[in-house]
Amino acid sequence: MNESRHTGYAELERAEAIKPDPIDPRIRTMEVIDTDFHFTPPWDTIRGYLKEPFKSLLFHFPVGGLEYNPEPANEKPGVGQDTHGTAATGADVIAILDQFGTDIVVLNPGYNRPQSIFNEPVIAAIAAAHNDYLIEEVFPVSDRIKANLMICHRDPQMGADEIRRVGHHRQFVGVYSSFSSLYEPLGNAKYDPILDAMRDFDLVLTAHSEGFFPHFSPLWTGARTWIELFGNAPAGNAMAHLAAMIVQGMFDKYPAQKVIFQEGGYWWIPDLMLRLDDFYLGAAGDIALVERKLAAGERKLHKMPSQYILDNVRFSTQPITMPKNRKHFAWLLELCHAADLFCFSSDWPHQTMDPANWVVENPDCIPEDMQRKLLSGNARKLYARL
Amino acid sequence: MKEYLLGKIADLPEGKGRAFVAGNKTVAVFRSNGKIYAVANRCIHKGASLCDGVLSNDGKVLRCPWHNWPFDLETGGHCLDPSERLRTYQVKIDGDAAILCV
Repeated sequence: MNESRHTGYAELERAEAIKPDPIDPRIRTMEVIDTDFHFTPPWDTIRGYLKEPFKSLLFHFPVGGLEYNPEPANEKPGVGQDTHGTAATGADVIAILDQFGTDIVVLNPGYNRPQSIFNEPVIAAIAAAHNDYLIEEVFPVSDRIKANLMICHRDPQMGADEIRRVGHHRQFVGVYSSFSSLYEPLGNAKYDPILDAMRDFDLVLTAHSEGFFPHFSPLWTGARTWIELFGNAPAGNAMAHLAAMIVQGMFDKYPAQKVIFQEGGYWWIPDLMLRLDDFYLGAAGDIALVERKLAAGERKLHKMPSQYILDNVRFSTQPITMPKNRKHFAWLLELCHAADLFCFSSDWPHQTMDPANWVVENPDCIPEDMQRKLLSGNARKLYARL
Repeated sequence: MKEYLLGKIADLPEGKGRAFVAGNKTVAVFRSNGKIYAVANRCIHKGASLCDGVLSNDGKVLRCPWHNWPFDLETGGHCLDPSERLRTYQVKIDGDAAILCV
């Protein structure tokens, strides 16, 4: 029980009831670009833009993988991963941006598991409907709203066709894809038709964690928990896909192509850079056998592997991992080249969402010029259309 | 330590949080199972406003609205790692009023 006092309280100073703003006020004075924000219109809205025969047959979003949600979602039946809310319209998006002190957003699709569906025409139809809804009803609301366009990545020609259909729209700044549920890594030459189309429109490739279940690995088939599936799996997958992009010559064939990895973590970047370089210096022979090198008649990469990461790859920040030891956090950021490679992201409305506070609340590790680069400067350099 | 008047107990909603400024501190106050609790409003994880948190486990656990970190409302300790701890504040009862001590 609370302790009692009986001295009379009339003379006491009153505590003032307030509604605190959890967003650090410094955030509202700086430009913030959120590179990962999930937009989830109701399925009936998307269905309204589907072409036949999909419209008549797809009454629900065809979930391709087992539904699996974080603990808070289990206490709110029906919300799925969107534990912080749902943005279904352009007006919804603007309201959330204002709430969190965000100036510009790059929307990712809320229906973010299409590549998990083993039916390429269905993926392509959903992607086209989503893109058409953005163009018709969302982009006109505000120029603060940008988006990654959806494609069917599993069928590269279908993906390329969709990019050529809508890629001219200036509020599309990138192409959304995943690194978790494709059988062959994003760096494989089979996806070159997609990269050819992206090159024509100067679009950034977004490699986002998707589906939670890397379907093709028995290791994760044996996993049982959210921590294994979402806490760990994306990092391993991101490393594998990024390594493939580099050593299978993607950036040699497409030297201007930029890629942003999302939700794959970042602590592994220094190890990957050092290890790729070390292996390249000692065991580069089979690089001559990959499709792009065979076609080009080349036997080696144009640069050291780590250099491609510095030149072509960026990482969205959510979920940020911050060691409590201040020196460790500063060193980790330095080892990851964070000042130049990191672009702020919130991942709203998913359970692991990160508001931007951490960027300005660690000035001993992130000085003010670096704060501005993380919050918007690096994104402005990355996205040609911003 | 200084005492601040939070107001009438009846005005504090059962099972809900409310934030108060007392001096230079912002405190989240909860009324749960007939008792008044006060913890630092800022979550030690990533800075959410805990007054917007949800009570669970029969009103004994405060869950952060951003990332669901669970804290024992009585002790302020994280339910899985008590070394992670919210600062708690004493609340005294004076008749029908709640007094915050910070």
